[in-house]
Amino acid sequence: MLTFQIAFRNILRQKRRSLLTGLSMTGGYVLFVFGFSLLEGSYGNIIDIFTLDSTGHIQIHQDDYRDRPKIYKTIQNQEQIKVALTDNPEIKSFTPRVFSPALAYAGDKTAPSRIIGIDPVLEPTVSRLVQKVAKGTYFSTSPNPDGYYEAMIGRGLHIRLKLDVGDELVLISSGADGSIANDIFVVSAIIGNKTSFDRMAVYLPLVAAQEFLSLGDDVHEYALLVNDKDANETIARGLSAQLSELTVAPWQEVEATFYRTMQADKQGNYFSMGLITFIVFIGVLNTVLMSVLERTREFGVLRAIGSRPMQLVRLISLETFILAFISVMVGFLLILPFVYWFAEVGMLMPEPIDMGGIEFQHLKGEMSARVFWIPMAFILGTAVLISIPPGFRAARILPKEAMGSH
Amino acid sequence: MTNLIETRDLCRTFGSEETKVTALDHVSINIEQGEFTAIIGPSGSGKTTLLHLIGGLDEPNSGSVTLSGSNIADMSGNQLSDFRRDHIGFIFQAYNLIPVLSAEENIEYIMLLQGISAAERKKRVKEMLELVELDGLGDRRPSHLSGGQQQRVAVARAMASKPDIILADEPTANLDSKTGISLLDVMRDLNQKRKMTFVFSTHDEKIMDRATRLIYLRDGKVERDERK
Ligand SMILES: Nc1ncnc2c1ncn2[C@@H]1O[C@H](COP(=O)(O)OP(=O)(O)O)[C@@H](O)[C@H]1O
Ligand SMILES: [Mg+2]
Repeated sequence: MLTFQIAFRNILRQKRRSLLTGLSMTGGYVLFVFGFSLLEGSYGNIIDIFTLDSTGHIQIHQDDYRDRPKIYKTIQNQEQIKVALTDNPEIKSFTPRVFSPALAYAGDKTAPSRIIGIDPVLEPTVSRLVQKVAKGTYFSTSPNPDGYYEAMIGRGLHIRLKLDVGDELVLISSGADGSIANDIFVVSAIIGNKTSFDRMAVYLPLVAAQEFLSLGDDVHEYALLVNDKDANETIARGLSAQLSELTVAPWQEVEATFYRTMQADKQGNYFSMGLITFIVFIGVLNTVLMSVLERTREFGVLRAIGSRPMQLVRLISLETFILAFISVMVGFLLILPFVYWFAEVGMLMPEPIDMGGIEFQHLKGEMSARVFWIPMAFILGTAVLISIPPGFRAARILPKEAMGSH
Repeated sequence: MTNLIETRDLCRTFGSEETKVTALDHVSINIEQGEFTAIIGPSGSGKTTLLHLIGGLDEPNSGSVTLSGSNIADMSGNQLSDFRRDHIGFIFQAYNLIPVLSAEENIEYIMLLQGISAAERKKRVKEMLELVELDGLGDRRPSHLSGGQQQRVAVARAMASKPDIILADEPTANLDSKTGISLLDVMRDLNQKRKMTFVFSTHDEKIMDRATRLIYLRDGKVERDERK
């Protein structure tokens, strides 16, 4: 391709200028990729913190339980659902839960609390509850030698009721059948800290909670994790069709407010990254324009010997594209190790940063194809776009400019 | 003999009212297939303007230019680009080769625009380089060729597209007289052996001698038109 050769050699012709322009594009690309990687990494981090704390990637409920929880809105037919979830290769793990408000007594103190009944074996496959045990030991399903079931309580309850590991706890609530439920439990662990969402929660083994609340075999919720968390909305739609009598929601719906805040935050950040890149390109535009003006006579010759105006536009675009492509490739090789390091190791910030209401201190990047190719597409696209006005400037050069002695 | 170029009452003025310059004033000439024509006149007499109009690089204020039966004034845009590409060869005073391409590639480029196959292009490049006696220098960039050599490449480039006519605006003005004459000899040779029609402008006596047809311009008018 002779046009390609002309374009390529024109780049080599003004070595210093091409180098400077190329470097500014490389710089733009590197900044873009790095910012993108850290941003995606941080959001990924936040989403993990959020979803793995308890929400999971997808939740299943009966009807509108999520908005108007009532003890009788239960999911029945456990076997059928378990089979459906187990057979789905996209689902990594799932766990059933029951909930109910309750009054908690310890000694002469009382506090409102929330019972969360969980399967002690399945729950750790979905949430980080085990890691949140601050004191004591994670409970088991079976009652202790005295016949009492174990409970794990939130930090708030621990403080309000002056209740510690090994102490007895009395819960009063109402069962699904309308009966009064009350029973004694032994505290096996304190969970989380004062700001945890479950600071006033009492975790009970699922069977104990079901028995206490007269729920039989029924549960209120399934929380599940998927293998590809970016595909969770699609998977949720598929599940919804499959389990048509139940309500299936991705975490983006379950935590809609958080999700919206995060999206807005993200768009703002993308916009600033795009803006920075665009500013880089004002410099590029200037260079391309300059090189067109310097070559007025040459373009005149090309026009005189029969090049069509559009062929000149294409030539200029090709020149800019080739330079941008080389710059981006160089940038890719330069930034690759950094992105890799930030994704694998990351950096511990001296101060925690707050993003979307969640604090985190360990800055990690994302290493994925999109972190590289989206900025690449953006830079290459902008390069071609920016070369069009100078291209048209070249196309407007009159062929008679080729004549004459200067 | 058929008329290859016919201009009728060509007028071209530059500037407006007060600064108006009449570059060409009712120029009517015929140039036949196979002629070797020199347009002669002092600086500012309208030679360049006439060549521009014949080559479709500029538009007249009035009058017409017919080349191989087509009226150039009726054409526009891509049509005119394509017409120049396929029917007219240009040689410029300042050689105007594409600096980033080798001699061979400069010759090849115009054929690429014409959509000629790679094999045919290679063949013609070789043939053209031999015609202008530059065999062996094909891979040199213009900056590594002398002025005379560059202008020969320009002649080869103009020939390569097999145009109906080659227009040359003071092709020897940047060359010393010996090199200029030898370039003219190359052109004359092509005119005789290949029946290529040339129209070139000059104000050099020694160059004029080689022409078979002399058109004298003065103040934009044809002063004299003689065939030898
Ligand atoms: N683009 C232009 N603008 C204004 N005047 C021009 C332009 N081109 C040519 N002229 C004028 O037209 C006349 C003829 O010019 P030109 O054709 O270049 O003559 P030559 O090539 O014989 O020297 C001159 O007086 C010149 O100044
Ligand atoms: Mg002139």
